[in-house]
Formats: sequence, structure tokens, C-alpha cells
Amino acid sequence: MGRIPASYLMNRLSTLVLTVLIAATLIWIIPRLSGLDPASAALGRMAAGGGSVANADEILAQLRSTFGLDQPLIVQYLLYIKNTLTFDFGLSTASFPTPVATMIGNALPWTLGLMMISLIITFFIGNLLGALMVWEHTPKLWKAVIPAAMVFTSIPPILSGLLLMYVFSTQLRWFPLSGPYGLNVEPGWTLEFFSSVLYHGFLPAMSIVVVTFGFWALGMRGLMITVQGEDYTTLAKAKGLRPRYILYRYMIRNAILPQITAFALKIGLLVAGQVLVERIFAYPGMGKLLYDAILTQDYPVIQGVSFVIILMTALAVFLVDLVYPFIDPRIRHGG
Amino acid sequence: MADQNAAAPETAAPDVSGLTKAQIKRMKRFDNPWRNPKLIWGVGLLLSIVALGILGRIFWDTEMVFTGSGLPRQAPVGIENMRGQMGSWAHPLGTDVTGKDILALLIVGAPNSLYVGVLASLIGMSIGIFLGFSAGFIGGRVDDVIRVGSDVMITIPPLLILVVFQAAYGDISLTIMAMLIACFVWQSPTRLIRAQVLSMRESGYVQMARLSGASTGHIMFREMLPNLVPYLFGSFIANVTTSIVTAVGLEVLGLGPQRVPTLGRVIYDAINSGALIQNLWWWWGIPTILLAVMFIGLLLINLGLDEVSNPRLRRL
Amino acid sequence: MTILDFKNVSIDFPTSKGVVHAVTDISLSVPEGRRIGFIGESGSGKTTTALAAMRMLAKPGFVSQGEIHLNSLGKTDILNLTDEEMRRVRLRKISYIPQGAMNSLNPVMRIENQIWDGIIAHEGAVTDVELKRRSDVALNGVGLDPEIVGPLYPHELSGGMKQRVCIAIGVCLDPDLIIADEPTSALDVITQRHVMQTLRDVQAKIGAGLILIGHDMGLMAQSVDDIAVLKKGELVEFGPVRQIIETPQHPYTQELISSVPLVGGESFLDPAPATPAEGFKTEDGTPLLELRNVTKRYGSVTALHPMSFTLDGEVPKIISIVGQSGSGKSTMGSLMLGFNAPTEGEVLFKGRDINRQSPDEALTFRKEVQAVFQDPYACFNPFYRVNHTLKFPFERFGLSKGADHTTEAMEEACRAVGLAPETVLGRYPHQLSGGQRQRLIVARALMLSPKLLIADEPVSMVDASLRATILKNIHDLKDRHGISIIYITHDLATAYHVSDYVMVLYKGHVVEAGPPHDVIGDPQHTYTQLLISSIPWPDLDRDWGSPDDARSALEGLSELEGQQEAILRGTIPGFKLA
Repeated sequence: MGRIPASYLMNRLSTLVLTVLIAATLIWIIPRLSGLDPASAALGRMAAGGGSVANADEILAQLRSTFGLDQPLIVQYLLYIKNTLTFDFGLSTASFPTPVATMIGNALPWTLGLMMISLIITFFIGNLLGALMVWEHTPKLWKAVIPAAMVFTSIPPILSGLLLMYVFSTQLRWFPLSGPYGLNVEPGWTLEFFSSVLYHGFLPAMSIVVVTFGFWALGMRGLMITVQGEDYTTLAKAKGLRPRYILYRYMIRNAILPQITAFALKIGLLVAGQVLVERIFAYPGMGKLLYDAILTQDYPVIQGVSFVIILMTALAVFLVDLVYPFIDPRIRHGG
Repeated sequence: MADQNAAAPETAAPDVSGLTKAQIKRMKRFDNPWRNPKLIWGVGLLLSIVALGILGRIFWDTEMVFTGSGLPRQAPVGIENMRGQMGSWAHPLGTDVTGKDILALLIVGAPNSLYVGVLASLIGMSIGIFLGFSAGFIGGRVDDVIRVGSDVMITIPPLLILVVFQAAYGDISLTIMAMLIACFVWQSPTRLIRAQVLSMRESGYVQMARLSGASTGHIMFREMLPNLVPYLFGSFIANVTTSIVTAVGLEVLGLGPQRVPTLGRVIYDAINSGALIQNLWWWWGIPTILLAVMFIGLLLINLGLDEVSNPRLRRL
Repeated sequence: MTILDFKNVSIDFPTSKGVVHAVTDISLSVPEGRRIGFIGESGSGKTTTALAAMRMLAKPGFVSQGEIHLNSLGKTDILNLTDEEMRRVRLRKISYIPQGAMNSLNPVMRIENQIWDGIIAHEGAVTDVELKRRSDVALNGVGLDPEIVGPLYPHELSGGMKQRVCIAIGVCLDPDLIIADEPTSALDVITQRHVMQTLRDVQAKIGAGLILIGHDMGLMAQSVDDIAVLKKGELVEFGPVRQIIETPQHPYTQELISSVPLVGGESFLDPAPATPAEGFKTEDGTPLLELRNVTKRYGSVTALHPMSFTLDGEVPKIISIVGQSGSGKSTMGSLMLGFNAPTEGEVLFKGRDINRQSPDEALTFRKEVQAVFQDPYACFNPFYRVNHTLKFPFERFGLSKGADHTTEAMEEACRAVGLAPETVLGRYPHQLSGGQRQRLIVARALMLSPKLLIADEPVSMVDASLRATILKNIHDLKDRHGISIIYITHDLATAYHVSDYVMVLYKGHVVEAGPPHDVIGDPQHTYTQLLISSIPWPDLDRDWGSPDDARSALEGLSELEGQQEAILRGTIPGFKLA
């Protein structure tokens, strides 16, 4: 009892592997479809972009070996897959010869931290508010206020980021304009550093939270209405259970299950939204890395960042899938 | 619960006395879900953006989207900019650092954003309807492939693949961008339609239609499709939102069409030129608000459609 | 002494078309330890009245006048309690056993936790050991082993077990009154008997009053002391069960009782016409329908074991296939309609394999083989007016000679099944009652004049008073229109009356077959006997037996597994079971 069925596990695992392989393949195929030699194409763009091509020969040679261009296509592909899966994305062309993996390694913690905080906050707040919209004991005032807040929920985080930044950073000057922590703060395990990081991370996180919680709230509202009509909710009431207990243990507990599945499906879009927010706030995460790489036409970095973000998304989905059986006994015990 | 509501009207002739007019009006609205205020407001907001595009082209000079159409950094009419110049009616919404007219940018850009969203969503829906019906009807291997395919593709963020694509190809047109986005918005309609088709296939009226010698085409289009309409509409609108978000995201990263004005492109230019620090709020703020209006309109339509397909969401 | 008194209670539901008076001026008392049955059809207000005592009316319904007194609370009107006071009444004073046995338990909570939370909500802090002891007692009381069932989740239990858990929850705090809302409507007869007897047993043990809501007069006769008959929100008759059943006063009660078909009782059908309609004849004597070793497996589960029979159709017949859920009877129906291909063997219609037909042949087959399904609500596409369902096949099969002819045919068919055309045609499905819809489906079959009709549980979702009428309509199809009928049902009493031949199915095997008067009137197979003895008779002198009988009967059923030899009880001309 309590074990995840093997078939379920295999199923999820193969989806994970398939997602990663398809993403990697797409990233490989797309530039080749343009019919250009990716190395000289990259170099050409660098030149066109006005970048320095002083050590062009060196870069070209490096690119050729990275792409394995003297090999047949299938070997190139396999080599690429092998490299990608070992996180060897070659060297950056813009800040040659820094390995792309190193750059990603520096940016990843910022993105992960911001993402975890903002996603978890929105998920909790959103679902709770959605549940309160339906619950019969919610105070009248709340029931009037919550739907009004929903209006902002369809706006992409990049727009809310702009507005928040304008109001709170440039006008009110309550929060810093950009950067992960204060300029005069030394990174380290100090309270000062942490509070600076939280202070700087607040607006980027908020710009995601204010516009995404409504998505969860609306979904939860629909599910709660369904659960409210279920026989088990009626019986719970007939049992004379306390309203709060019914709300948490009977209604939210059941309505949250499809929301968790939706979470897995929605992560991709949420991550993309966050990438853009990082770019606005010049937050040194994957989004800024990607943006800078686009500006400098740094193809290996674009490739690496895209792959790692997709991998992160796929892993998050897989994790949610792994946790799911523990909260839904019907999967655990073969329903 | 639903049973009792359904059973109640059968009991006795209802008596209308004792109800206020407002109550009766509310209940009439309950009976005709298509006439709900959210839907009407949402459609109204979107139509106003379309109207801006059409009327603007008639009454305003759209040639002013080009550099040097006016003095740079002019504030909207009646507002002073940092150099102490008053905004004038020549550029009622001001100009950017290169002297492009913001109003002209909006007139051209806003319909473009809507166009990309609608086109991408239409293509995505068509793929979704085709695959969803195929999976639901043919079943077996075809179903497995479509199901796993949409499960896998739904987790890949479209923005990133498009970034890779654009980085490799450079400039693209609005239509190509819409088609690329469409490659990533077919998954949710496919899943939705597949699930609905699977449940409808076992429903009494589809079995009745089969008994009546109906062809597969008749069952799909005459029996199933009409009942899918609210769901399809809902899915379509949700996809328009996703598509516009993706398009704006690409544009704000400086990708997407380079020569056509779009709202995202305007915001990109504004951020890049430090409009936030220079307090040129009209440059990025007005397009942002216009986009927000567009998204709010789409959301309202979606909420309205939800009430159509799920009567339990309606409030008495 | 009474436990609960309804005094002049009226309940209103405001709707868009005005206020519906769901319950009007009902006064009734439940004496201590006594079982009261609320009987009536859907919309009669029986559930609404009972829920008012729990203050759990579905919105927007409300009690517009009257008082409800719970005597253990003194003189207070239940309707005047605060929400918190009312909460403390539920389960502790009045407990509720819901209708949907399948969905009444929280799917993500263990069974014992669902008993414990009720106890904690009313008694506050109780030690784990005490909770465990109490839930063990409650589960034991309904015949479930607490060690096994306690830690399980609801989806791991059968429907009957879930409903017994609900009973255990309902009695765990020794309430004054138990309200059971059609507690067995989702269960088959054998399980129904077990659950009802369990309920009666525990109710007697704790001495609580019981309100049993239902629509089945037989079930009432076997379960309650007094019956309250409700019609359109009014109490039309109230009295001891024997008086109501043997000497009903109100015409509606009389109708309710006479509409229940009984095995061996009077037939509700019209006498057969002097010259029965001609059936189907082939020159070379090919049978109308033939099954050759038809087997159906779903994965490793065999739904239907090899089955062969021939039906010639020359003189129209009604062949009944009787069984409980999971017996394979519906699988047979869909195999005969060609909705499903058999795993082995073949289904022949007029000598042709129905799964290997050309498109033209398939269309002819569709025209000649029609069906009536269980759920009259699902059979109409909600998008179209009901005419669509009648008109489309009529035109599709080329029977129509123009729009006027189609309309004429529809009106004629409606009249033939006792519907006034102007009240049903041109309406949307949701504007019609279940009975009207099901009769329209019969009318549809009539319009197409098929050779064979598969009727899969045609009356199980229709109100009791309409069942006989619809079966009469179907029976007329045979007598007056020469249509052979396969009648699939779980209801032995109707099968007894309408059919010419009966096959009893159990787990995909025929266990007993023959003319109905032999098979149902004098069953030989253990399973058939068990089915007959589980029927609740609306006859007080014919007792249902004790819970132990029911339990041993269920055990007898599990021993049946190995013994699957069919008992054949004679033949009729025109039908041969191999």
C-alpha cells in the first residue's frame, strides 16, 4: 500500500524522456532547415550585428568542432544529443570562450528561486481565493472584492511588471529598479545579503503573482462549484461537520486535484512569462541571459538556455506527476 | 441538487406574484445565458479595438508611424514633457524618441496584435478539431500517438522554441509568426475535443443517430459539433490570449516582425531607449494599457462563455 | 411520544417563471422507533420535505410557512435555530443517509476517518483508542469487518458496501431520527435486500425513528410501519402500511399500487387482438436473428460466454434477457445492434453477418433493427427540437414522401403511443418529462416499422405509474405491428408479463431459460431463486426474511461461480436456444 503503480511511473517517465528528446531535436533541426551551415551563419550574424570578429577564425573552428560539421548528419545529431544531455552546449560566441554551461549555471539559481517563490505564492493565493468565491460562509464583502481582482488576471506578467516598476520604482522609489541585490552588498550567507535579495526580488515576484493568481482562482471556482454539488459534500454537511473543516478537508481537498494537474500543464507558459519579467527587471536569471544572447546573436547560448528551460519545465511536470499519487489515493490504489 | 431544481417546475403551476421585477429580470438572464453582461462587455472591448484600427485609418495619418514624423519626446495633449514643451493636437498621444506618432503606432499596431492572435488561434483550433475528432473516433494507435503527442507538446513553452527559430531565421512576417505560434496552441483544443468526443460517443443521442443510419460525418458535424460550440468558443478565446501573449513576448524580446509596428515592438523600443527612466510614460504606458484592455476583453468573453457551457456558474 | 413533527409546512422554489410550491401544507409526526415511508414520484416533494427537517434545502428553496419540531430540543422550532445550533443537531439528533451510494463518501479519505470526523465534530476531543472503538462498533453493526474496511478508500468498496458505510456513519451517534433518501436506488435487488435489512436492523437496535424516502411500493411494504403518500407537494394519504396497501382510499394511492406489476399477478397488458399482425417471413426459412457462438471479452474479462440462439420472427415474439448489472445483458444488446463486434462467433441478421455488410446492406439493417435505450434524457440531442430525432431516420431511410408526409407520420406515431402531437412535437427535449421522451422514442421505432426492436431497460428510469403504459406501447409493437422484440431488463416482474421466453443471465452465462411462467413463476436454478426471493413484494404476508437470510444468500451467490450449467425449462416455437 502507498506505492506508486509501476505502469503509472513508466508512463510518466517516458513522457519526460520524450519531451526532452523532442525539445532537443527541435532546437537542432530548426537552424538546419534554413539550409545554412550553422557555424558560418552564426558568424555572419555576428558580423552583421556589428560584433567584434577579431578572433573569427578561432571561433569558426570552435563552432565547427562543436557542431561536428565534418561528420555525416546523423553523427552530428547524435553528437549533439550526447553533448546536450551532458549539458555541454559549447562556448559562447559573444563572451568567447566562456562555456555556455557556466553561464547557465550562474543564472539558473536566480531563475529557480524567483520561480519557486512566485509560482507557489500564486498557486496558494489563487486557489484559496477561488475556493472562497464559492464557499457559502465567505463574508459578503470578500465575495464582492475577489471577482473585481480577477480583471487583471489575463494580463501577461511583462505588462504588470512594467506598470509595477513604473509606479513603485521610478515614481514612488519604494523598490530598486533592477538587479538581484544592492550594489554595496557582498554576496554571502549574511542577513544583509538575504534581505537585499528579498527586497530586490519582491517586485519581479509580485508582477508574476498579481496577474497569475486569477488563473488559479477562476479554475478553482469552477471546480469548487462542481464539488459543492457532489453527494459527499452534502453528506459532510448532513454529518454536522464544521463549515471550515468541510471547506478544507472535503471541498478544497478534492477540487485541488485537477488544479495540480493543470499546474503541470501550465508550467511551460508560466516559465515563459517569467523569462520576460526577468528581462524587464534586469534580473540576472535565464531570461536576461536569453535576452542578452538574442541581442548579441549568441546562438549557442540561445540554444542552451532554451533547452535548459524546457528541461526544467519537463522535470517540474514529472515531479508533480510523482507527487500526485500521494494526494490522490485512487491512483495509488489503482482506481 | 440539480435533480431537485429540475423536478421542482413539474410540480405545480408557478405563481408569479411575490417576485420583484429585478428578480424576474435576473432569472430571465439565467434562462438565456448568451445574454450575459460579461460576454457583452468583452465583445464590446474587442470591437472597440477593431474600431480604433478602422476609424484610425480613415481619420488619422498612419504614415506617422515612421521616424521623424514629429518632434521627439512630445507628451500627450495638455501635458508638459521634461523639457517643458506642451503636448499638442498634432500628436494627441505624444511621440517617441525618434518622433514617431504614438496614436498612429496604436492604430496600426493594435489590430496587428489581434490579427496574430486570431489567426494563430484559428489555425490551432482547426488542427485541434481535426486531431481531437480523429483521436476520439479512430481510437487505437492513432489515439495513442495524438494523446502522447499533445501531452508532450503541452509542456514545451512555445516562446522558447520560437526564440530559437527567430534567432536562426531573422526577420519574419506577421502571418509567419502566427503560423509558428499555431504550432503550439493546438494541444489544449485537441485534448478538450478528444475528451468530449469520447464521452459523447457513448451518449444516447449519438447512439440514436447511429441507429438512424447516420454517417460518421453527420454524427461529427450535425450531432456532436453543435453541442461543442460553447467549449470550442471558450478554447478559441483562451488560445487567442495565449497567442497574443506569446507574440507580445517575442516582440518585447526584440524578435518578431522587425518592420511592422506592433504593440510589443513599441514597448521593446521604449524599454530599450530607457523610456522608464526618462519618464516617457505615454510611450510604453499607452500600448500597455491597450494590450491590457484587449486581454480583459478576452477574459470577459471567456468568463461569459463559461457561464453558457456550465449553468452552475450562473448566479441567481 | 413523537420525535419529529411537521406542522403545516410549505416549501417554495422561486424560478424564472414564478414561484413553484414544491410542498404545500404538510403536517406529519414521526413517533419514536417507528419507520415512516415517504412515497411519491419525482417532483412529489418527498425529498424536499425530509431535507427541510435537516435545513438542507437546495437553493433557492425555502420553507415559506409552518414549523418543524424536534422534541428532544423542547419547544424550539428547528427553523429558528442558529446555524451553529443546527449543525449540532445534524447527525447527533437527525442523521441522513443519501441517495447516491456511489459518490457519498469523500474519495480521498479513509473510511474510518469519515466516521471519526463526525464523532469529533459533535463530541470534541476524543482519544484515538475511543474513536477506533466507536468506528469498529459502527462498522461491525452494518456487517463490515472494521480491520479490513476501516483503512480502505471509498473507491475500493462495492456500491453495497459504500451504502452500508453510510448507514454506519448515520447511526454512530445514536440519533433520534434517521432520514434515508432512496438508499438503495443505485443497487441491484440482491444487494438492495441486504442493505435495507441492515438499515432496519440497526435502526431497531438504537430505537431511532426512520423516514424512508422511495418510489417503490414493494420496498416500502417490506421496510416501514406507516406510509405517507405524496403527490405534487401534497400529502394525499397517510396511515399504517397494511391499511395503505390493502385498502388504499385515495385514487392516486390506488393507482400507485395497481401500477406495480407482480410476478403471478394480473396482467397490465391489453388483450391480444384476434388476428395478430404478420411477422417476418423468408422463403427459405432463414431466421430473422441468429447468434452463433457469440463471445465477448474485454481484455481478460469475459463479458459474454459462447451463446447461440435463433429467432425466426415469423410470429412476432418478445424474448427477455434478465440479469443484474455486470451479467452481460447490455453487452448482448450492443452486439445485436452491431455497435460492438463479438470477440468470437457471429451475429447474423436474415442470414448475413452484421459485422461484414456493404454500406447498402448496413443501411437496410439499421432500418430493420431499431432500439429503445434506458435513459430517455440522453437520447435526444439537446441542440435540436425533438422532431429531429423522429424525422432524421424517417428521411434517411427513404420512408418520407415529402415534408407533409413526415409530419403526418410523426403525428400518427405520437397518437399511437398515447401522446397528443401538439403537446410534444416542436419542443426542446428539456421541456418534456422523462415519460414523454421515452414514449417519443417508442413512437420513433414505430414510424420506422423495423423487424426487430432491442429494448434495453426501457422503463427503469421512468416513474412507476408510466412504466406499465410504456411497456404496453412496446407490447403493442409486437401484437399490432408485427415487430419481434428483445427485451433486456433487470426487472423480473415485467419480464414475466410481457415476454414469450425468458433467459436469465449471470456473469455472461445463461443459467436458466424457458417460458416466463416456468422460469420466473417456478425457478429451479439457485440464482433465479435468489433473484425472485430478493424482490420486495408489496404484500405484507410475504416476508423478505432476516438480514442473515440476505447474507447467506449473498454467500450462496459466491459459491455459484463454478456451477454454470444452464437449466432449460421448455421451448416455444420460433425460438431456439442452443
